[in-house]
Amino acid sequence: MVRMGQDDQAAIRAILAGDKEAYGALVARHASSLFRVAFRITGNEADADDVVQEAFLRGYRKLEGFESRSNFGTWIYRIAVRCALDRIGGKKVDESRRVAEAPDLEQDQVQVADAAAGPDRLLLSGEIGALQEAAMRSLTATERTAFVLRHLEDCTTGEIGAALGIGPNAAKQAVFRAVQKLRLRLAPLRVRI
Amino acid sequence: MNHLKEEELIEHYYSRGEGGDAAQEHLEQCARCAEAFKALEDDLSEFADVEPPARDAGYGERVWQAISGTLPAYEARKRSWLHINLWQGLSYAAACLLLVGVAFFAGRQWEHKQVQSAVKSQPPPVQQPVIPTQPRERVVVVVLSDHLDRSERLLVELKHADADSEETVSPLRDEARSLLAANRICRQDARKSDDPDLARALENLDRVLAKVANHPGRMDAADLTRLQEEMNADGLLFEVRVLRSRIPNRQGAKAARTEGGEI
Repeated sequence: MVRMGQDDQAAIRAILAGDKEAYGALVARHASSLFRVAFRITGNEADADDVVQEAFLRGYRKLEGFESRSNFGTWIYRIAVRCALDRIGGKKVDESRRVAEAPDLEQDQVQVADAAAGPDRLLLSGEIGALQEAAMRSLTATERTAFVLRHLEDCTTGEIGAALGIGPNAAKQAVFRAVQKLRLRLAPLRVRI
Repeated sequence: MNHLKEEELIEHYYSRGEGGDAAQEHLEQCARCAEAFKALEDDLSEFADVEPPARDAGYGERVWQAISGTLPAYEARKRSWLHINLWQGLSYAAACLLLVGVAFFAGRQWEHKQVQSAVKSQPPPVQQPVIPTQPRERVVVVVLSDHLDRSERLLVELKHADADSEETVSPLRDEARSLLAANRICRQDARKSDDPDLARALENLDRVLAKVANHPGRMDAADLTRLQEEMNADGLLFEVRVLRSRIPNRQGAKAARTEGGEI
């Protein structure tokens, strides 16, 4: 890790000295981890690829402001989170329409298959996945990102706040709201199962 | 017993294993909260991690190829120039501040030491009266000599003055007023220095000067004649000339006394 940090610092010095190609090494080193978090936030492979490219572009432009004491991996990770947040936030208008047009909770209860139906397990699994996806889409961009970072990326509220540009308490509240909304959306599923 | 709120349950869910959690103790004692926590765990476990699609080793290279064409190279000189100038400027400013501070401090110390050394180099208390007295007496002697010169000139002019001419008498009156103040100082000094001849002559001179200076209105021939007679009667002009001739000797005698430490 220390070795990687030293390599990153050397590459950054080279880039700022005019060696653009040195940035390729940084991209190759951190692209996969950025794709992982981008995919978890956007839930879409193509969007995740776009987020990775956008993050590295932003990172390159802001490289002069990068403090050498910081870790490049953490820094570019935060940029990727912001890019992903911007991307799902930009789609929020369409998504909110979809959520508004979604069936109400009573209707959800009717649609979900009964676990006792045995042969319909696969169908049930697919419906649960669809319901979870719908629940995730009901969240705001900030709530969704905060939840993903907390639940899947094991980030602390301080790290989430730093990535989203908000305070730790605001990050914690975003996680609380996300969990509450998700549980509310999944309540019919719990009743039927 | 206060039950845990949903927020506290969520907080506990994500902070498990970090230690020092009072919520865990509560959950072990409260069945209701334990049940609520179990439900939360079940709900959140539904959101298990979906493994992102795999990316091969060449993924980073492909991303780089996709973006590298749009990235301009940094201008090394511009960047380094700005960078160096910023730090150089700050360094120079800091150095200047430090220099000014050191100079100020050194100046204060030097001034302090100068005052101390001046105090230490002062002569011992026994010699103190000698140094200030000598110049003071010399100044008085010089003033006395000058005063006697001016007085002699005034007396000569008074002796030959024409009472009918206002142009002659009026400047004499102004000069007499000026000499009167100086004469009193010299007279006091003569008394202090125990010189009765000088003191007496200056008293006579004082009387004549006072009459000339304070004479009301125009001085007529009778007034002038009376003053001239008084002057001659007292031999004042002669006396002033004798005193003036004594000044160098008197100064030498004083100097000799000073060197001998008698003062």
